[in-house]
Amino acid sequence: MVELVWLIPALPLIGFVVLLLAGKLLGEPRAGWIATTAAGASFLVTLMVFVGLLGRDSHSGGRSYELILFDWLPSGSLQVEAGFLVDPLSVTMALFVTGVGALIHLYSVGYMHGDPKYSKFFLYLNLFLFSMLMLVFGNNLVVTFLGWEGVGACSYLLISFWHHRDSAATAGKKAFVTNRVGDWGFLVATFAIWSALGTVTYTEIASSPAMTAATGTAVSLLLFVAAAGKSAQLPLYVWLPDAMEGPTPVSAMVHAATMVTSGVYLLVRMNNVLTDDALIVIAVVGAATALFAALCAVAQHDIKKVLAYSTISQLGFMFLAIGSGAYVAAIFHVITHAFFKALLFLGSGSVIHGMGDEQDMRKMGALRLAMPITGATFIVGWLAIAGVPPFSGFWSKDEILLAAWEQENIGPLLWVIGLITALLTAYYMSRQVILVFFGDQRWDEDAHPHESSWTMTTPLCVLAGAAIVGGAINLPLVKDWLVLEHFLEPIFNDPHHFSSGTTTKVALAVISVCAALAGISLAVLSWLTRRISTDRLEPDFLENAMYVDSTYARVVDGIGTSSFQGAADIDERFVDGTVNTVGKLTMRLGQLIRPAQSGYIRNYAVGVALGALVIVAFLTWGLLL
Amino acid sequence: MRSLSQSVFVGPSIDWWALLPQMILLGAALLILLVSALAPQRTSGGFSTVTTLCAAVTAYIVALGLWSDVQTEGPSASIASALGVDGFSIFFTILILTGLVATALIAHSYLEREGIDPPEFHALLLCSAAGAIVMASANDLIVMFLGLEALSIGLYVMIAMHARRPEARESAMKYFVLGAFSSTFLLYGIALIYGSTGSTNLVHVRDYLGAVVFRDQHLLMAGMALLLVGFSFKVAAAPFHFWAPDVYQGAPSPVTGWMASIAKAAGFAAFLRVFFGAFGAHNADWSPIVAVLAFLTLVIGAVMAILQTDVKRMLAFSSISHAGYVLVAVQSTADAGTSAALFYLFTYTFMVLGSFAIIGAMGADGEQPLARYAGLGRSRPVLAMAFTILLLAQAGIPLTSGFVGKFQVIAAAVGHRSYLLAAVAMLSAVIGAFMYLRIVMTMYVVDEGTEGPSPTLHWTVAIVLIGTVGFTLLVGIVPQFLIEFAEDAVPVLIRG
Amino acid sequence: MGTVAVIELLASQSASSFPVLNAMIIVPVIGALVVVLLPNSRPEMMRPIGAVFASIAAAMSLYVMAQFSSHDAGFQFESIQSWIPALGISWHVGIDGISLWLVVLTGLITPIVLLAVDPHHDPKSYTAWLLLLQAGSFGAFLALDLFLFFVMFEIVLVPMYMLIGGWGYEDRRYAATKFFIYTMAGSALMLVAIVSVATLSAGEQGITFDVIELAQRQALSTNTARLCFLAFALAFVIKVPIVPVHTWLPDAHTQAPTAGSVVLAAVMLKLGTYGLLRFGLYLFPEASVWSAPTLATLGVIGVIYGAIVATMQKDLKRLVAYSSVAHMGFIVLGIFAFTTQSLEGGILQMVNHGLSTGALFLLVGMLYERRKTRAIDELSGIQSAAPIFAGFFTIVMLSSIGVPGLNGFVGEFLVLIGSYETRRWWTIIAATGVILAALYLLWAYQRVFHGEPTATDEATPDLTLREGLILAPFIAGIIFLGIYPKPLLDRIEPAVDGLIAHIENHSDYERPSPAAPVIVDHDQLSGDDH
Repeated sequence: MVELVWLIPALPLIGFVVLLLAGKLLGEPRAGWIATTAAGASFLVTLMVFVGLLGRDSHSGGRSYELILFDWLPSGSLQVEAGFLVDPLSVTMALFVTGVGALIHLYSVGYMHGDPKYSKFFLYLNLFLFSMLMLVFGNNLVVTFLGWEGVGACSYLLISFWHHRDSAATAGKKAFVTNRVGDWGFLVATFAIWSALGTVTYTEIASSPAMTAATGTAVSLLLFVAAAGKSAQLPLYVWLPDAMEGPTPVSAMVHAATMVTSGVYLLVRMNNVLTDDALIVIAVVGAATALFAALCAVAQHDIKKVLAYSTISQLGFMFLAIGSGAYVAAIFHVITHAFFKALLFLGSGSVIHGMGDEQDMRKMGALRLAMPITGATFIVGWLAIAGVPPFSGFWSKDEILLAAWEQENIGPLLWVIGLITALLTAYYMSRQVILVFFGDQRWDEDAHPHESSWTMTTPLCVLAGAAIVGGAINLPLVKDWLVLEHFLEPIFNDPHHFSSGTTTKVALAVISVCAALAGISLAVLSWLTRRISTDRLEPDFLENAMYVDSTYARVVDGIGTSSFQGAADIDERFVDGTVNTVGKLTMRLGQLIRPAQSGYIRNYAVGVALGALVIVAFLTWGLLL
Repeated sequence: MRSLSQSVFVGPSIDWWALLPQMILLGAALLILLVSALAPQRTSGGFSTVTTLCAAVTAYIVALGLWSDVQTEGPSASIASALGVDGFSIFFTILILTGLVATALIAHSYLEREGIDPPEFHALLLCSAAGAIVMASANDLIVMFLGLEALSIGLYVMIAMHARRPEARESAMKYFVLGAFSSTFLLYGIALIYGSTGSTNLVHVRDYLGAVVFRDQHLLMAGMALLLVGFSFKVAAAPFHFWAPDVYQGAPSPVTGWMASIAKAAGFAAFLRVFFGAFGAHNADWSPIVAVLAFLTLVIGAVMAILQTDVKRMLAFSSISHAGYVLVAVQSTADAGTSAALFYLFTYTFMVLGSFAIIGAMGADGEQPLARYAGLGRSRPVLAMAFTILLLAQAGIPLTSGFVGKFQVIAAAVGHRSYLLAAVAMLSAVIGAFMYLRIVMTMYVVDEGTEGPSPTLHWTVAIVLIGTVGFTLLVGIVPQFLIEFAEDAVPVLIRG
Repeated sequence: MGTVAVIELLASQSASSFPVLNAMIIVPVIGALVVVLLPNSRPEMMRPIGAVFASIAAAMSLYVMAQFSSHDAGFQFESIQSWIPALGISWHVGIDGISLWLVVLTGLITPIVLLAVDPHHDPKSYTAWLLLLQAGSFGAFLALDLFLFFVMFEIVLVPMYMLIGGWGYEDRRYAATKFFIYTMAGSALMLVAIVSVATLSAGEQGITFDVIELAQRQALSTNTARLCFLAFALAFVIKVPIVPVHTWLPDAHTQAPTAGSVVLAAVMLKLGTYGLLRFGLYLFPEASVWSAPTLATLGVIGVIYGAIVATMQKDLKRLVAYSSVAHMGFIVLGIFAFTTQSLEGGILQMVNHGLSTGALFLLVGMLYERRKTRAIDELSGIQSAAPIFAGFFTIVMLSSIGVPGLNGFVGEFLVLIGSYETRRWWTIIAATGVILAALYLLWAYQRVFHGEPTATDEATPDLTLREGLILAPFIAGIIFLGIYPKPLLDRIEPAVDGLIAHIENHSDYERPSPAAPVIVDHDQLSGDDH
């Protein structure tokens, strides 16, 4: 059944083509259903492939299957095939990508109701799903890059979906260009790997001898640049908050569950080339991003902005895990995060929908009564991300904190940062839940909050379920319960194992739970029961994300634009000017000798005489010399 | 008695056959004059044109006969080897006759329009043609000088013939005075050559220079220098070119065409014959000077041309820089260079005659403002295209004879290792192209609705245009035959 | 002019197989003559009839493509006729993997633009010039005799000059003259070099202008060869164009009529890069290696500089023109990296650039037809008014940005990965071009297509079926080449390898051999402990 892998991306592609040709005709809601069917079918095929993979022997590469479609870029010794690689990692990714993807498609059927570009939205959505799956299943760096750029392009199209809004258009452009910075890293890394190993195919890279330390580190860092672009790490995160300009399902799918985690996927995929020096950098940047974004999330008022910063923060967690060598933990968190963050985004979408496109949390409150299902599911998501056991978030986050603790050089420091972040996470999420669903209602009279249609609530419930039990796929303590870890083992040359004893593990777990509870109670005291005054809890410094983005903007608009304009002026005045000057100089030369053409016979005679004199002189006296 | 009988003067044997072309032309000139003098009423232009054409054609046939003779029996010389009969002389004879035919045809309608008496004009034209042929075939400096004067005097009058226009007379005066001035240089040069070699006959001069080693060459060198000056003036090479633009502009268009093509060609013919034939042994001495002249001529011609706003003046300066190209070939002092020069002159003659045919058709002379050509591409597309082709040919654009000519000149220069001069030649071609493009642009690029001029094109002019344009393209695409012709026409000095 | 040439060729061709390459050059010329001889009373007939002849030529180019043997590194469909024996010049044409796709591109582009763009006046001469342009371009790509090449290289200036001058926009006088003089000045010294090469390598075998022969002789001394190479390079570098000799391009592109811009971008710029390959590298291997660092640097500068300047343009056509400078920079980098991938990528990129930029110019032209403006700030929100038009534009834009799956990527990727082998730092810098490309195109797209449309923008009509059909081939090519460039690469590769081998033979250059993948069995390694 593994051979069916080609169907997985093919189905969304078909959906895309159908909608491209007949989208307008089909219109609402058929277009939406076609897209959803494509996504759902692709999920089913993924399941079949998954089952097929399980059926294979887990040892000696039995669980790695390559399907080559055709030679894509055969050039001399460079052989780039259009091929798929089915192995535990790609299937794991594909499972939640298609699963969550399908749910979000379904959700969008309701959410995009009445939008004039209804069919186009699903067109993009399918195209995105296709690209994402190419990214995941590609058997070499270049095919992955195809998906990598594809999702980038789709993200551009989807963010600027309501392109008549300048903010949306700008956000889309910003996302694409910022991502391109990462793509530069991806490209150069690919070149370096090819010139060092002579291959770009994952299986061959994995089984090649290690590169020289310098090259290895360079490649690792370049790959991290790529990941930082796609997964919104410092300093390239700036596009993600703006990306919320897109429709909420897009934020849920592209900018929470799937695309933004592809950076994590890339690094895990390339785990065999990452060097320790690079890993430390990754860990530090990850931790820093996690903390930074969490702090920013504390002071946001826009319901989606909070979630956006929280996403950045959670991604930071994942890179912290990778930096600590705990790739499984990273993937584990990717999955759980996909569940609860998608859930939260869709929930917020449902709220926005019910409130008539109101996004300011200060204008909400007590919505749990108006929209019970949304409220309930949102609360599940909240508990999950806050790290309250036994919800899924707890398990994955706990594993990451453990891994950070065990990082040999600066482990404890990373752990502390992680812990603080966890506390903050619990705090700002609680704050959001309270502001939106509890307390007294602060919305204006003309707003009539109502529960959303079943197409929107069903995904919420499913995701809520996943967010609760999702942790089960990798339960610690008992060795055999580490399903995910065992499943993923084949992709690592030397799998990572936790060294700490059970006591340490338990202790750390307890501490992190306490942190979570502390965060929640802090929020409750300040925002629900108002025991703590809240006016100092939202400093402008944090609300404006520490002015990083605005500084960027100032630089780009200032020095950036002026220097570019300068170049353009130089081109016009100097470079082109020189050309015209040459012409003018030729003219000048003519005007210089023009007076000789005076029209007077006497002058002409003088000219003849002088010329004659010179020639005679030259010829006769030339001999004397 | 005996002594008397012994002192009977025995003239040299005269090979009339070799002289026939010139004789025919002169005869035709006399005929025209006689008829017009004796005829009761004013003779029509038709008669003189036809006579000229007939004369030219007969001479043509004779010349072809001579060519085959030369090909079979090799070159010869006659009248005490004062006239050479070699490929070179016949090449130019043919060239000159072609020019004659074209000019006669152009003049036919022109004279009518401008009210100039045809008989005199054609008579003078024939005379100067005869003079040109003599110049090209003379083996003796004195004979060469005679030819040159015959050519020039005819021109002086033809230029001035435009009775109604003072500038015509002015330019005639200029040409006359300066021409006389330069002739003195030429004469003095001839004298000095005679003084240093004891002969004015090129064959003697060559043999003498080959045989004798001078202790003191100053006399010879001065003579060479002065000849150089005289010829440079005739071909309008800088710095002896100043007369050309004014005279070209003032003269009636057909005459300008005649000057720019045939007078120039004849000048170069004499130039080549003397300096290759007679002074070949001393080319190390004169070649550098010619190189310098070429450089000046190219640059001055080009940069002055782009400043002009009068089409006739533009072409005047362009013809100066074309002389520069020929000089580039000349300074290479090789047979390749000579044949390149011959090829260039032959093709250039066609381009320039065609161009001046159009200019003549475009109306009254003296003033040929560029503006007059605006929109010609709209109103007379074919005429404009013909002019464009002729101009692009002069600019040296491929698939025209002009390009092949330039190519050979460059090849000659490269063969002589004068890369710099070759580069200068090409760059001046670019500068020149700017000027030609200005004319083309004026003809084609006009704002909507501008009404272009529509000159009346007499069929005689049309024939000339078809011939010149056709030839220019033909040689541009399949130049082999002309190249061979030029290669067979390298001058050889034979003692008769 | 055509008839004589026809007689010449047919006369010399009566024997042997059908000389398809010669026919390819002649047919458009005949077409031009036919069109010229058509009565003026039927202006609407001109372009269709011209298109017929252009299509016949295109069909021939496709036939050649079909018959082309992908295993043969040498020249195919060769045909030699003596032309000017007195000067050692022959009419020698042939095609190999390097020229094949450019010929096909030339063949296909011309009939399309002929049908696509309405000149509005003088259709007769317009058609004739376009046909002559096609013939000249064919000749330049097929010529294997330096003289013949120069003739074609120079003659194509005339039709383009006439097209810009006759059907261009407000500033056409200046632009046309600048285009002609600038490029002519570039090729002036090349003629001297051509003659010098032929003369100096004449030896006892006698003078010849035959490219293959001269390339084999390699008779010039190092310094002479370098000088001649520089003269050649100057001509081509101006044609490409490379910074800083690029400024004729924006003017020419902006002022040219749409058809002119398309052919200029798709075909004529390639004469430069093609010339560098065929005559630079092939005739002067040592000199090319010697000058490679400089030229590669110029190429990279072009990539960055072109993109930066493009970003600030206010005129859509100028913007596209500067994007051409950037794209051609990649090609130059690839050419002077001398690896299989970089050269193949470069040649592929020539075709790709032809498709994407050609399509961009068509689109901008269509926009101009609708709005009579090219100024970016006079347009906004077009996507709301003309979604399909915007969709086509988006696809072409993404291809030009180099998004994988579309043609732009494959060329750039191969160029860069190949150049990384020999020109590491150049490549790393050039790769930043991908960021800038996204910047200038997306920004322009946002300003023109996004945002709130004004009343006039609302009135902008959407793509018509006819226009869609015109663009369809471009889009098809863009997608096909992006997904399956193998057929092209297979035919390009032998020629490229041959060229690199030629360079290795005649210079101290040695092509790097990238590490072959070494498969290590980790179980084995772990098993070695005891």
